[in-house]
Amino acid sequence: MRWIFFKLYIFLLLPVSVLAKTIIVAPKTTISSLKAAIKIANSGDTIIVKKGIYVSENTLINKELTILGENAPVLDARFHEEVVTITASHVKFDGFIIQNSKTGSMRDYAGIRLNNVAYVIISNNILRNNFFGIYLSDSKHIQVLHNHLTGSNNQENSGNGIHLWKCKYIFIKGNYVTRHRDGIYFEFAKKSLIEDNFSEKNIRYGMHFMFSDDDIYRHNTFKNNGSGVSVMYTRRIKMLNNLFIENWGSSIYGLLLKEISDSQIEGNRFIRNTTGVYMEGSDRINITNNNFQSNGWGIRVLASCDKNTFTQNNFKGNSFDVTTNGTLKHNYFNNNYWDKYEGYDLNKDGIGDIPYRPISLYAQIIEKIPQSVMLMRSFIVNLLDKVERAIPSVTPESVKDEKPRMKPWKR
Amino acid sequence: MKILALFAIAVLFLIVSCSREPQPIQYGKDACAHCRMTIMDKRFAAEIVTPKGKVFKFDAAECMAAYLKTEPQIAADQNTIFLVCTYNKPGVLVNAQNCYFLSDGIFKSPMGGNLAAFISKERATTAIDSKTAKLYNWPEMLKTR
Repeated sequence: MRWIFFKLYIFLLLPVSVLAKTIIVAPKTTISSLKAAIKIANSGDTIIVKKGIYVSENTLINKELTILGENAPVLDARFHEEVVTITASHVKFDGFIIQNSKTGSMRDYAGIRLNNVAYVIISNNILRNNFFGIYLSDSKHIQVLHNHLTGSNNQENSGNGIHLWKCKYIFIKGNYVTRHRDGIYFEFAKKSLIEDNFSEKNIRYGMHFMFSDDDIYRHNTFKNNGSGVSVMYTRRIKMLNNLFIENWGSSIYGLLLKEISDSQIEGNRFIRNTTGVYMEGSDRINITNNNFQSNGWGIRVLASCDKNTFTQNNFKGNSFDVTTNGTLKHNYFNNNYWDKYEGYDLNKDGIGDIPYRPISLYAQIIEKIPQSVMLMRSFIVNLLDKVERAIPSVTPESVKDEKPRMKPWKR
Repeated sequence: MKILALFAIAVLFLIVSCSREPQPIQYGKDACAHCRMTIMDKRFAAEIVTPKGKVFKFDAAECMAAYLKTEPQIAADQNTIFLVCTYNKPGVLVNAQNCYFLSDGIFKSPMGGNLAAFISKERATTAIDSKTAKLYNWPEMLKTR
């Protein structure tokens, strides 16, 4: 009997001595690399890496560890390999500087790679000069928080900042991405949330969705990227309260929608883009409560789009509010504010008494003869538009806002 | 003599301006004619030169195939030039009609087609990575879209 109590007593003591092991890594000590620490660690241990510069050529994290960098230690792959690969679940990886992964055309080398794992947290890291930054494949329930990624800015051979491939339930928050190919890239990544990120000066897109359904992105800023944000071949995306700013140049859009459906674009601001929103082959999208300000083209809707609604948006200072390349049917505009509206409101209910036609005659002419853009803001163009507004004949009859607001929507 | 030289230069200009030449792809600048994405990846890019000399650039062979499906006249015309970058020599455009195309999970081509081009059947077969890989020649590849 006593023997059993003794056993129990020992058993109760065990967790304290076994589970709470902390391994310290520091330069010029017995454990001078992360690799060595992982080798002697057991699942559940904590590794603390002190300040210093460590060579890390594809350090493999294959145990359930908490790995913390103290005062931003540097892991450097010296352009030979990947820096860190995580193949175990329940890993926390926090506070490192990850730099100089290999660049290659045959393999996608990454700063931090996660492969087939779940419940991993990657937080507060600084990634510099990597081919791909954080690369997630076949993973679930991952959190990518407050990382700072700077790519190589190589025009022809650069990878994506945060790259997702076949992932589910990913939470990406508070990251800053610049000088990569695409800032954040989703391919077959579903049911994920992306919020409070800042993506600027990336070579291709600030963010890019391919075949990724049921995602939400909100409160992000996409500034001065090669081509803004692109959402392609995707369903049920919610795009809320984002800022798309200064995405300028030929064939460059704030938001490019291609073959997407059943989505929501709400509360976003599109400021100083060549084209605010470009839509091709996109159906059943609700575009409400957005601000389109100082863009070349506010919205460009191709004739292949169907059953989209545009309500309660503000259009201010755009060269063209809405353009299309054909007859636009089954797309509804209602209750928007248009600064070009010249109607009146006799009953003072805040809604203009005559409908507004957002597609101007001149926009239609440019569609047929792009060179005529040189006549922009000339007297003859203004005259043409005025006549067309008074007696509509060329602009699509179906595209009109029956209840244009007299005053902008307050946000 | 001077007139002859001028005439020669004029003729030269005419020849240059009339020729149907493939254009080099400006990676990072040119947009794909089918999917509108900016062309970035030198391993997968493709190009069509129509009989009239118009050039269409694509970010992937699958985009070229999808585009040709919507433009059957261009696809059927004998004088159309079809070009594609091969996986072993990224950035170099070669005649796509002589190429073999390998569909395999390891090729992360831009439009999710997992499709890479090779100049010969041997090269393609040595690159096979998984059991699910499929090998196509040009007409077969066009039919996959």
